[in-house]
Amino acid sequence: MKPYEIIEHTADVGLKVSAKTLKELFENAAKGMFGIITGEDRVKSLQFKVKRDIRIKKEVEGLEELLVDWLTELLYIFNKEEILFDNFRVVELDSSGITGELQGNRIDLSQETLQTEIKAVTFHNLKIEEDKSGFSCKIIFDV
Amino acid sequence: MCRLEKIDNYRWQIPQSYKSEMNVPGLIYASQSLIPPILKDKALEQVANVASLPGIVRYSLAMPDIHWGYGFPIGGVAATDPENKGVISPGGVGYDINCGVRLMRSELTAQDIKPSMENLVNSLFKTIPCGIGSKGDIKVSDKEEEKIFLKGAGWAVKEGYGIKEDLDYTEDRGCMEDADPSKVSDRAYERGRKQSGTLGSGNHFLEVQAVEEIYDEKSANILGLFKGQVTVMIHSGSRGLGYQVCDDYVKSMMYCLNKYHINVPDRQLACTPIESPEGKAYLSAMRCAANYAWANRQCLMHLTRLVFEKVFEKSWEHLGLHLVYDVAHNIAKMERHNLDGKEKLLCVHRKGATRAFPPRHQDLPENYKEIGQPVIIPGDMGSYSYVLTGTQLAMDDTFGSTCHGAGRSLSRSAAIKQCSGRRIDRELFDKSGIIVRAKGRSTLAEEAPEAYKDIEEVVEVVHKAGISKKVARMKPLGVIKG
Repeated sequence: MKPYEIIEHTADVGLKVSAKTLKELFENAAKGMFGIITGEDRVKSLQFKVKRDIRIKKEVEGLEELLVDWLTELLYIFNKEEILFDNFRVVELDSSGITGELQGNRIDLSQETLQTEIKAVTFHNLKIEEDKSGFSCKIIFDV
Repeated sequence: MCRLEKIDNYRWQIPQSYKSEMNVPGLIYASQSLIPPILKDKALEQVANVASLPGIVRYSLAMPDIHWGYGFPIGGVAATDPENKGVISPGGVGYDINCGVRLMRSELTAQDIKPSMENLVNSLFKTIPCGIGSKGDIKVSDKEEEKIFLKGAGWAVKEGYGIKEDLDYTEDRGCMEDADPSKVSDRAYERGRKQSGTLGSGNHFLEVQAVEEIYDEKSANILGLFKGQVTVMIHSGSRGLGYQVCDDYVKSMMYCLNKYHINVPDRQLACTPIESPEGKAYLSAMRCAANYAWANRQCLMHLTRLVFEKVFEKSWEHLGLHLVYDVAHNIAKMERHNLDGKEKLLCVHRKGATRAFPPRHQDLPENYKEIGQPVIIPGDMGSYSYVLTGTQLAMDDTFGSTCHGAGRSLSRSAAIKQCSGRRIDRELFDKSGIIVRAKGRSTLAEEAPEAYKDIEEVVEVVHKAGISKKVARMKPLGVIKG
């Protein structure tokens, strides 16, 4: 089972994410999103290591909404603090929120030639599915 | 597979009976040869989904550059009636609120600038901030940003980044009324602050062009366009600010679906009645982002004028670098349209579509009233761009709307795969003499000419269907991209 694959979408970019557990699904989605941003290529302006904790408290009906919130939060920190995350650990995850621990590197966005600017994480046909091998979903990003 | 019925050579219908949720039929503008690529992805399903929005009137429309988006198709137009539970959908505008194009003309000819081309393109690339997360030199405080939200391009002109005349030739004079900065989140403010006067990345560009063909002498004269003339086209939007506004409101509208008992086939179509507090709040915030985008394109035009002054050692006035027109192609607007013989105020969503108002429309600059609104259609870096004008038929049939560009035919990853190992910049130079500079590592492959539909065919459809009229065609000379 591949943690994530980039899928074809005419105007935008999609990810197919798979995992054994829901927590891992969220972690793999985050890895995939940063894979799209960097093109899975080396980043040259790595400066120093940074750690961040994320806590989103929100009562949700489906975890899809939380998945979009989680990725959107990571994208926000990436843009604001110029941190390229490469290590994701989801500590808690249920219908009342998500807690995660992240590691990454501070970079200088103005010095980088990254692959893709992700404008947003969309809800387009987003559905987390479960079968006997685990969980999967498809996420479309606006780029 | 979506059911498609041919109406005539340029129009196709998705009957309302295709899906039980549809409130109106779908209407697609396309020629026979554009249909196969349209059928390849899920764009037509999306046209049918949009037809299910509450209060949608007449048709869920698609222009010939239609392609698969998220929620709405790109190239989609939908008008909703506020008096009949009509909704507003942030997804029907998109994340890049008021992404749009402006065209500048000049007194220069392609021959004049040939010796300076490389210097010109390099100087533009050095001066115009572009690429992911690019920051501009125009840094503003919160208070100042609020003024941008309220005044749009007018703010930029007041700051010295242009002249009053520029506003006359900008859609809505570069400023939508009823913008309310209090409806913009702190995060959106924060993202907007450092990005004023930046181009962005992806399909955004600044292009130096030459007018190659004139189709309508009279209109070209009025627009100040002539064969061989150098023009500059700027394609950019509201940057991180717009993305954040859309993101904030798509999320808040998930709750409106329950609150107002609205069923949509795709959650990215989340919407709320136009007249609801949430609908009004979104429109107020969206207008702030639209105004920010107009200020942004005005600043980019100012930077362009400065570069031309430096390279050609003459003032921009002397070089005749005037604005022809500026259009939005991702926006929702309250507009008056004739519906079954009655004039009605409708909310027109244009997602990858351009306003195309007819001659004599009151919103046009005085000297353009005779010919209709200029419609600026950007090509991609290897192909032509066009100037069209709006028509009465567009006003009658498409809520005064037309296409916005070529439309993608290949996904970005497919384009990268197809261009693997190739130097697109070198190919463009060797084949057509076009000088290209791009910041992003794979921008050139993603945006390679073969990734797009044939723009000539797209323009031919809107021209022959009568929803706009061809005026001029430009070819690229030099391009900078994020």
